[in-house]
Amino acid sequence: MIVSLTNRFKNRPVLAAVAGAVFLMGSLTWASVTKAAGASETPVKGGTLVYLEQQPHTNLYPPAGGFYPNGGILNQITDKLTYQNPETLEIEPWIAESWTVNADATEYTFKIRKGVTFSDGTPLDAAAVAKNYDVYGRGNKDLKLPISEVINNYDRSEVIDPQTVKFYFKKPSPGFLQGTSVIGSGLVSLATLALPYEALGDATKIIGSGPFVVAAETLGRELTLKARTDYNWGPAKLAQQGRAYLDTIKYIITPEDSVRIGALLAGQADVIRQVQAYDEKQVEDEGYLIYAPSTRGVNNSVVFRPDNPLVADIRVRRALLHATNADEIVSTLFSANYPKATSIIAKTALGYVDLSSRLSYDLEKAKALLDEAGWKVGTNGLRQKDGQVLELTAYESLPQPQNKETLQLVSQQWGKIGVKLNVLTADSGSATVNNLDPAKAPVSPAMVGRADPDVIKSQYYPTNRNVLLQKGGNSDKVQAFLDEKLNTLLDNLASEPDRAKRLAIASDVQAYVVDQAYAIPIFEEPQAFAAAPYVKGLSFEAVGRPSFYGTWLAPRH
Amino acid sequence: MSRYVIGRVGQALLVLWAAFTVSFVLLQALPGDAILIKFLNPELGLGPEQIAEIRASYGADVPLLSQYLHSIVNFLSGEFGYSVQAGVPVGDLLLANLPPSLWLATLGFLLATILAGVVAVLSTLAPFAWLRSLIQSVPSLFVSTPVFWLGILLIQVFSFQLRLIPVINPGPWEALILPVLTLAVPISAPLAQILIRNIDEVMTEPFIAVARAKGASRSWVLWKHVAKNAILPTLTIGGILFGELLAGAVVTEAVFGLNGIGGLTQRAVGSQDIAVLQALVVFSAVAFVLINLAVDLLYPVFDPRLRIRERAAA
Repeated sequence: MIVSLTNRFKNRPVLAAVAGAVFLMGSLTWASVTKAAGASETPVKGGTLVYLEQQPHTNLYPPAGGFYPNGGILNQITDKLTYQNPETLEIEPWIAESWTVNADATEYTFKIRKGVTFSDGTPLDAAAVAKNYDVYGRGNKDLKLPISEVINNYDRSEVIDPQTVKFYFKKPSPGFLQGTSVIGSGLVSLATLALPYEALGDATKIIGSGPFVVAAETLGRELTLKARTDYNWGPAKLAQQGRAYLDTIKYIITPEDSVRIGALLAGQADVIRQVQAYDEKQVEDEGYLIYAPSTRGVNNSVVFRPDNPLVADIRVRRALLHATNADEIVSTLFSANYPKATSIIAKTALGYVDLSSRLSYDLEKAKALLDEAGWKVGTNGLRQKDGQVLELTAYESLPQPQNKETLQLVSQQWGKIGVKLNVLTADSGSATVNNLDPAKAPVSPAMVGRADPDVIKSQYYPTNRNVLLQKGGNSDKVQAFLDEKLNTLLDNLASEPDRAKRLAIASDVQAYVVDQAYAIPIFEEPQAFAAAPYVKGLSFEAVGRPSFYGTWLAPRH
Repeated sequence: MSRYVIGRVGQALLVLWAAFTVSFVLLQALPGDAILIKFLNPELGLGPEQIAEIRASYGADVPLLSQYLHSIVNFLSGEFGYSVQAGVPVGDLLLANLPPSLWLATLGFLLATILAGVVAVLSTLAPFAWLRSLIQSVPSLFVSTPVFWLGILLIQVFSFQLRLIPVINPGPWEALILPVLTLAVPISAPLAQILIRNIDEVMTEPFIAVARAKGASRSWVLWKHVAKNAILPTLTIGGILFGELLAGAVVTEAVFGLNGIGGLTQRAVGSQDIAVLQALVVFSAVAFVLINLAVDLLYPVFDPRLRIRERAAA
């Protein structure tokens, strides 16, 4: 919603933000809206923002920042080399003032801004940046620090002078520049990098250079962030410069949905994360705002594991694709903030192509495909072939919104063509293990957010997330399934230095995955937040984590 | 006496060792493990080789027996290890979660005892039979009240509607009022039920009839004769309930967003965080052993007959 509007206001982020806010307040009275938009409000300095989070953070090693509770903290306390403009998705200067990339994207040189310090007083210079990327790019076995997902083919760094650092890659790595802008590439002080992985769950040990600093933490319960008064190195193109407006942010873990919403509406909290679609109306009716930034990555989908003979036949997968009614899922379970998917990646993602014509809901076509593949309806109403019943299983994914309900609805829809889908819930150990076995989980829910075409490779490549369970990946249960063509496309996607060619490959991959019916995209997943109307300047990075740098609290009425 | 104490301590140590060993075996028997759950998690997007390296660096390839011996030696030296999931030392997690649990359980238990006492006394002394049976059905109502519903109801009414007590950022005492109430209601039910039954039973004893015949009032009989006799079985149940409260307040903790052993256990089970779970198992075993010991020692205080028997035995 924000995005479609803001596209029209490119390069005018303030106007766009106001317009977005107006649009979001659509259900409010027009009088208050015009007042909010009309008054040229000067940001108020100071104050404490209370932010309710659903789950405690886990390990805060920056490459583990994908987990939303972690990203929500890391985004305030660390800076990145570059800044990805959440509206245009362009990469802009931040800690790096400028950069150059060689023609085949194997050498990147960054000029580091002067005078930047970590909150422990040590300088954030070329040497510190080099150390950070050496760890994120290669990991550190002694300290058990894993490699960052967003850095591919990293070789080494070279400190050219105190403000210049150069990175070398073994193979072209065109996604690296965007990779320097994500939360997982947050820069931390050498003291933090010297700690073992097991010690990084303590937020007070994460020393960054960001606009806020962790002042205190009660493990699992609350976190207090204080603004750094000497902060003066925000992204250069932002209107907001200097220190953050807020003095303090209090993160409080409030697991229960109704308590988070009730506390917001009762004035005990200012911003809350994770609002279910069915609660949105209640919040908006009270004059509060829903923010639903897109995660701009691979859509919330159902994927197949073709290693399982039941779904090895492309006709079966296509039949199930056409038997899935994404419109019904979105309108039954979700809201306007969850747009129906029209490709495997979101409309707002880089390299998106519209494939909605190939994703049509068509029961007759689905039935014909199954007939053609030899699956006939038996006496019990289920499709059968050679004495085998077309009965599939999927495990619920807890982090995805209403995933169980989504899968159950898919199961009902597939029931109409005589296919049974069992939706199982398991403890995370069994779910993790079983979900890696194509025999036990021929169908699986999947999604991932990142605003770069590399995200498609992350999702499908065997040695990355490997959602299709190809041979040679993280599962030793796979017998034979391997799609060389897909993997070649993904390899090219991750290594094509020419931007236009790279986007063309992204488009090919999307078409290929849909044509093979490896995935059934369902909706574009947002992150849903709610905020009080007096919270101004709340923004979100490209993948939907909140940024409180420009946030301020207007007087409450 | 000293033989008795040595016996008790020996028994306690055996229980602790068994709890530790059984939990270790059971956790190993589950599919997957903490490292798998943490690192196969798509949020990290790690490849198979990287995961294998991490497994090796955590010592997950070491034979089970040496893992077991290693962890028992560490435990004896007070080294509880790190939580794989939370990324902090287990000791820190216990420090953050134990005190709130103790407060909640202690105050909840006290309030439950008071509630149970009031219900039991009222049900005995109430003037009419219909009123007595009405009061006697209160425990059934209490025990069937879902905790999450009660908690959310209390929050809605007292915090969001009346705005008397904030749930977000409350003071240290304010924070306890609603959760303690939520916890006390269902816990008071079994206590009250047992108390009422015992009172009824003692009331039918011949010596009560004698006392009544001598002209004692119902309440005098209750306080002087019945209460002491009826309290012993309640004490036993009370000990067990308190132990359960310490680690079993998961729902209350989740609704009120409190730290506590219950929530910690739930998360640790979910992620098979063995180091945390073993510390919790040993802690729970210690707590139960201590509470049972306390209950045993309290018996003679309430029942002089036990004191005499003990003296006679010594």
